[in-house]
Amino acid sequence: MKRYIVYAAVFIVFLSSCAWHGASVTDPDDIVYAPLRFEPPKAQRVKLENGIILYMLEDHEIPLVNISAVIRMGSFYDPPGKEGLAEITGTVLRTGGTKSMTSSQIDEELDFIAGKITVSVGTDSCTLSMSILEKDIDKGLQIFFDILTNPVFSEEKMETAKVLKIEALERISDNPQKIAFREFRRLMYHGDPRGKLSSVESIGKIERDDLVKFYKRFFRPRSVMIALSGDIEEKDAVRKLKNSLGKWDISGGPGKPPPPPIRVGSSLTYIHKDTPQSVIIIGQPAPGKKSPDYYAFEILDFITGSGGFRSRIFAEVRNRMGLAYSAGSFYSPRTEYGIFGAYAMAKDSSTVDALSAITKILDNVKDRGVESGGELAWAKESIVNNFIFSFATPNRIVTRQMMLEFDGLPDNFLKKYKDNIEMVGLDDLRYVAARYLSGESRIVLVLGNKEKFSKPLSSFGDFYMEKNSTENREN
Amino acid sequence: MASEKNLRHILLEYLVIACLASFFLCITLSPCFAYDLKDKVKEFTLKNGLKVLIVERHASPTVSLYISHETGAVDEEDGHTGTAHFLEHMMFKGTETIGTKNFEEEKRILRKIHDAGNALDAELIKGEGADVRKTENLRKQLEILQREAGKWSIPNEIDRLYTEKGGGDLNAFTGQDLTSYHVSLPSNRIELWARIESDRMTSPVFREFYSERNVVMQERKQTVESNPGRKLMEQFLAAAFMAHPYRRPVLGWAPDMRFLNIDYTKEFFRTYYAPNNTTITIVGDVSPEEVMKIIKRYFGRIPSQKIPIRRVTEEPVQSGERRVKLVSDASPSLIIGYHKPTLPSFDDCVFDVIDTILSGGRTSRLFKALVEKGIAVDVNTSNGYPGARYPNLFVVSAEPVSPHTCGELEEAIYKELDILKKEPVKPEELEKVKNQLKADILRSISTNSGLAGMLSYYEAVTGSWQYITKFPDLLEKVSQEDIMTAAEKYLEPRNRTVAELVRKK
Repeated sequence: MKRYIVYAAVFIVFLSSCAWHGASVTDPDDIVYAPLRFEPPKAQRVKLENGIILYMLEDHEIPLVNISAVIRMGSFYDPPGKEGLAEITGTVLRTGGTKSMTSSQIDEELDFIAGKITVSVGTDSCTLSMSILEKDIDKGLQIFFDILTNPVFSEEKMETAKVLKIEALERISDNPQKIAFREFRRLMYHGDPRGKLSSVESIGKIERDDLVKFYKRFFRPRSVMIALSGDIEEKDAVRKLKNSLGKWDISGGPGKPPPPPIRVGSSLTYIHKDTPQSVIIIGQPAPGKKSPDYYAFEILDFITGSGGFRSRIFAEVRNRMGLAYSAGSFYSPRTEYGIFGAYAMAKDSSTVDALSAITKILDNVKDRGVESGGELAWAKESIVNNFIFSFATPNRIVTRQMMLEFDGLPDNFLKKYKDNIEMVGLDDLRYVAARYLSGESRIVLVLGNKEKFSKPLSSFGDFYMEKNSTENREN
Repeated sequence: MASEKNLRHILLEYLVIACLASFFLCITLSPCFAYDLKDKVKEFTLKNGLKVLIVERHASPTVSLYISHETGAVDEEDGHTGTAHFLEHMMFKGTETIGTKNFEEEKRILRKIHDAGNALDAELIKGEGADVRKTENLRKQLEILQREAGKWSIPNEIDRLYTEKGGGDLNAFTGQDLTSYHVSLPSNRIELWARIESDRMTSPVFREFYSERNVVMQERKQTVESNPGRKLMEQFLAAAFMAHPYRRPVLGWAPDMRFLNIDYTKEFFRTYYAPNNTTITIVGDVSPEEVMKIIKRYFGRIPSQKIPIRRVTEEPVQSGERRVKLVSDASPSLIIGYHKPTLPSFDDCVFDVIDTILSGGRTSRLFKALVEKGIAVDVNTSNGYPGARYPNLFVVSAEPVSPHTCGELEEAIYKELDILKKEPVKPEELEKVKNQLKADILRSISTNSGLAGMLSYYEAVTGSWQYITKFPDLLEKVSQEDIMTAAEKYLEPRNRTVAELVRKK
């Protein structure tokens, strides 16, 4: 340590004579940077005989190993009337024990070696992940694969999972944002399984047999991909995987779910909740990652509301008008389809003002696209420069690469991403804005207490149909 | 202290108020093992007292940069609550050279805004006795001036500069004891960071002061008033601490926030953001020598300040249970807290162990007794709340599954706490808990920002990041007897505060 302190002292003497003159006057835009050269390490892809695909990258900085298995299964496949089955299956997969270990044996062993296994269930994928110390890798993998391939879904654990899920559903009514975003999802995916959400009733109907069948339908080697990174040698990892999973051999598995139908028509939905702050969400269908419009739309979203303080919605609604603390936009593209949303959490009295401000911004973008090359250049530069963080850790690299294949995207998708962003021009923005931000496919959702709005919602325009909806409405 | 548990996040949310959007970066408070930090951290101190910690990591050409000022809500005087957090918002408004088209012109108007704003507040604070005509005139005047100032300013330049150069995780957090500014950058952009940060540590300009006051009022509405859990936490702290400033919310009390004062905020900045009250932490793809050249060049010129002796009222010993109820249209929830000493007291370390025994993982005692049994939807414990520079609380919180009640949860929790006092923890359980604490630390330092956050936290709170390297030995020393003694001493009824959220009938 001493050595470095001496070092610092040398610099102090040396630099204090010549330094700060230049520093205080440099325009931050004029700083010259050394070029950044980086060829991100590529994850190794291995295909086991039974169809399981593995992506693997070594990382010896910290004695930890991360593994995640992604399985094609999710709430999309919930049978009508039993919404929530995928989620409960995921929960009880983790908690319900296996053929060789009871639930509490698994928990005891894992906790003792400080391993963590978690499950998350999405719309069309389920991820089982583990973080484990390098020295306990064998024990960890044994439990991990046992859970993946030999779960028994104990009745008792399923009952607990149901009780907890029902309580969580009931507690949603305490949280205005959760209520609003759930309703938003229903509206955006109206008429599609993605818009069907679990309810107290649907959870109540789920039985153990449903879990077992659901598991059997989806958990098959050909539907599983694994990403592994950390303090482990590649050939070691492959060998361990072959030993544990090579014998798991059931063919088949579900195909990819079809994209949702393209939603047509616009609507205005009002949800009554007595809260000091209204939640406003505006949604539009947007392009998926495979669409040629994807890159232009990324930029459009960045400029409209997701590019931080400078983006239009934030700058207007939060900065200039001071109406909200959170305001902006989001764009969630999947392979074949996407959703764009704009939102604000506004003071009750200014709800309609905030809504009008956002709508005006969207209409302006739709009608004129982005007119300033400066704004486009700013968005491109930001996206391209930040892209390096996609490769910030080996775990991120390996997971991303696996997800590309899982989602059916080309493996050079990331490699070409920067060039594709660079190629977007003002014409492209105008085109995608006009195509996707049309008022005719726009849904508007407002949660709050109408009586406290300083202007009536109808002042927002009679173009939209208004419908009322109660906070705990199911499905 | 350790792991990544759901409820801890809720607690941390309360402790740490994030500035941009609603992201909360959790500063994990756990030290490190099996990863020899001692040799990896390079430590420098500039002549003006600025401390710099650097760790090289070359996995990718990125770097995580933290600036932590040893100050927070505790340093506010009564009547000025919310200042530390509001100052953090103001720091994003630019400087004399960033965010202006012509600072000389702008300055003239900002001075007038300052006078009009102060005059308006002086009138408004009279409440019903305020002169309505006068306030209306001042309000109009202020509005005109703000529009005028807007012609000279370029809003959100700091954000623009960082975003454009690839910055990520741009964020800032204000806590009770500590205020941090964080950004991750491609590693070739460090000079941009130094240029911006040294400038705002020297000459920030508090643009849009009055409209930003409205924004923080909205922040309070969003994060506290529409959030029953946070509201309950606020009531809980106000009851648990009678005299110590930990009783006040970081965000501030709403009536104080309406009158956040520009002069007071400036003075707060001048005093507590001084280089001799600040630590810079850098983790990533850097060469310490190169970085120090830049840091010296940009930060070396900032003058040090005399930091006043902090006169923080010591909390009187609690001598009887306190109970608070919050009636709200929301599902019931429960918070229980006990006063205890803080770092680097050995008892704090014992509480890290107790914390993990009670709620670390699925085999922890409270998880088994409450969640596994289906009577609570969630349960958590937190050691060291709501800050760590002063004696703090050990907190247990839980939410019942309907129709179970908070009363039942309380009973079940006390039962587990009593077992801690009466029965020695089995050696295997103690070993398990120590393993968990060690692994949690590794997990939290596996990212650049995680390690940077941890180093700057311990440097600020305990005076040296090296507390982290000493922690393993401390942990090893924690014995069965220590746990029983600490439980007996602190987890007793007269030392506790209980807050309960009751549904409005």
